[in-house]
Amino acid sequence: MPAEIADATLDFLLARAGLDLTPAQKAELKTVYAGIAAMAGRVRKPRGRMAEPALVYGFAEEDLA
Amino acid sequence: MSAPRLPQPRATTPMTIAAAARLLASRALSPVELTRACLDRIEALNGELHAFVHLTAERALAEARAAEAAIMAGEARGPLHGIPIGLKDIVDTRGVPTTCGSRLLADNIPDADAACAEKLAAAGTVLLGKTTTHEFADGGPSFDLPWPPARNPWNPEHFTAGSSSGTGAAVAAGLILGGIGTDTGGSIRGPAALCGIAGLKPTYGLVSRAGVAPAAFTLDHIGPMAWTAEDCALMLQALAGHDPRDPASAARPVPDYVSGLGGGIKGLRIGVIHHFHEVDHPVDEATRRAIASATLTLRDLGAEIREVAVSPLQDWSACGSLISITERAAAYEEWARTRLGAFSERVQARLMLGALVSGVDYVQALRRRRELRAELQQAMQELDLVLTAAAPGVAPKIDAVPKWDLFERPNFTMPFNVSGYPAISLCAGFSPDGLPVAVQLAGKPFAEPVLLRAADAFERATPFRDRRPELASANEER
Repeated sequence: MPAEIADATLDFLLARAGLDLTPAQKAELKTVYAGIAAMAGRVRKPRGRMAEPALVYGFAEEDLA
Repeated sequence: MSAPRLPQPRATTPMTIAAAARLLASRALSPVELTRACLDRIEALNGELHAFVHLTAERALAEARAAEAAIMAGEARGPLHGIPIGLKDIVDTRGVPTTCGSRLLADNIPDADAACAEKLAAAGTVLLGKTTTHEFADGGPSFDLPWPPARNPWNPEHFTAGSSSGTGAAVAAGLILGGIGTDTGGSIRGPAALCGIAGLKPTYGLVSRAGVAPAAFTLDHIGPMAWTAEDCALMLQALAGHDPRDPASAARPVPDYVSGLGGGIKGLRIGVIHHFHEVDHPVDEATRRAIASATLTLRDLGAEIREVAVSPLQDWSACGSLISITERAAAYEEWARTRLGAFSERVQARLMLGALVSGVDYVQALRRRRELRAELQQAMQELDLVLTAAAPGVAPKIDAVPKWDLFERPNFTMPFNVSGYPAISLCAGFSPDGLPVAVQLAGKPFAEPVLLRAADAFERATPFRDRRPELASANEER
């Protein structure tokens, strides 16, 4: 994930999210994008395709009744 | 014939729940007088501290009179009967405004109580009102909302931390004896740390989230905030238990959190995660000293102290933050799309972040979460508790809280939201300028009895519970 985001990419992501931001808000969001990119990098570890997420669930008794 | 009345109080506030409960049980103190004393303190101090956003004085006095009548009739419900409390203003309260600190819910009056409000009412507590929160429990102190942020009773120029800011300030100032906070990344333990009180984030699923506004569904916890760990135990006893209205609620029997207090901690194995506060994010000198001193105190009490290492704090923070940003953006998506400008500037900024996190980022964070939980489980296999910093330092000035602090420093409390393990923040000293410093103890899932026993032992072995903020120091009784 690159540490910078292009204006067009940001506009696409905001449009997809349905957010209508002011130019000042967009400019601010660009300044913190590197922080999100760093976080996204930190949660990616060499783990292979079989690694499960935390929210995999089982069926409770009430599901089976 | 008029109803029998209890004698006038020997002491008013501030006092602990445990001390008040003893006086109430022995009929040496009336819940009505205790409630009036708290209301008087609120009237005197809330204008400066902004700890309450809505008072329920008439209801409180009616509940206190009912408690008094029950106690006089020999029908006391337990140690919380007649105890004045506050509820964070993201907790639904039937017939009482619940704004979530937001213009979007400025006129919201729920028609049902949240589960935690229901349980505390059933235990006989007296509700004094709703306490200040960061908007929807997020974003930090906002000055562009109708409700000013809470101020720290140790120095009102300083921040309380958040988001359970009002409950933290109100307990520290003796406006209430205990209250409810919520904790998604540290919103109970942060204010507890900076306000010099005790704040317990229970195990995920132990206390029902039903009726509490979500911040991030899989990280949200409800818990008690009070002057001492003992008081947190008394409150937890009333709050814990299965609730089918909360899909994450644990169907487990509720143990006795109180009877083990005072049993000592000889032989407990406590791991200190030094790298969190020494390498990953070095803390200030007062906090460093407090952690070192707390370690020695716990050792002197008979605990076996060990060193333990896990992934860097930044990994836990990144994992929790990505999950939190995404789940919050989902919860508030409709309003973010249609009424973004109605939120405070700080919460607008947090909601905007949701657009930058992809679905794949979120699932990678959930995969990392499973790994981190497994790592903590492994690290604690031969331990009962771990000790860490609760905050990087003392309370900053309230006008110096960075808007983007989640990128500027990792969060000492987030590991236990990511893992769901129980954790408590405890006052562990004071800085040279009189602001509280804190430590954090964390236990294994559903091991709150051990965690609270150790926390209580630490408080009783140290002098920090004897000191109140100057504005709150009159008539103290522990």
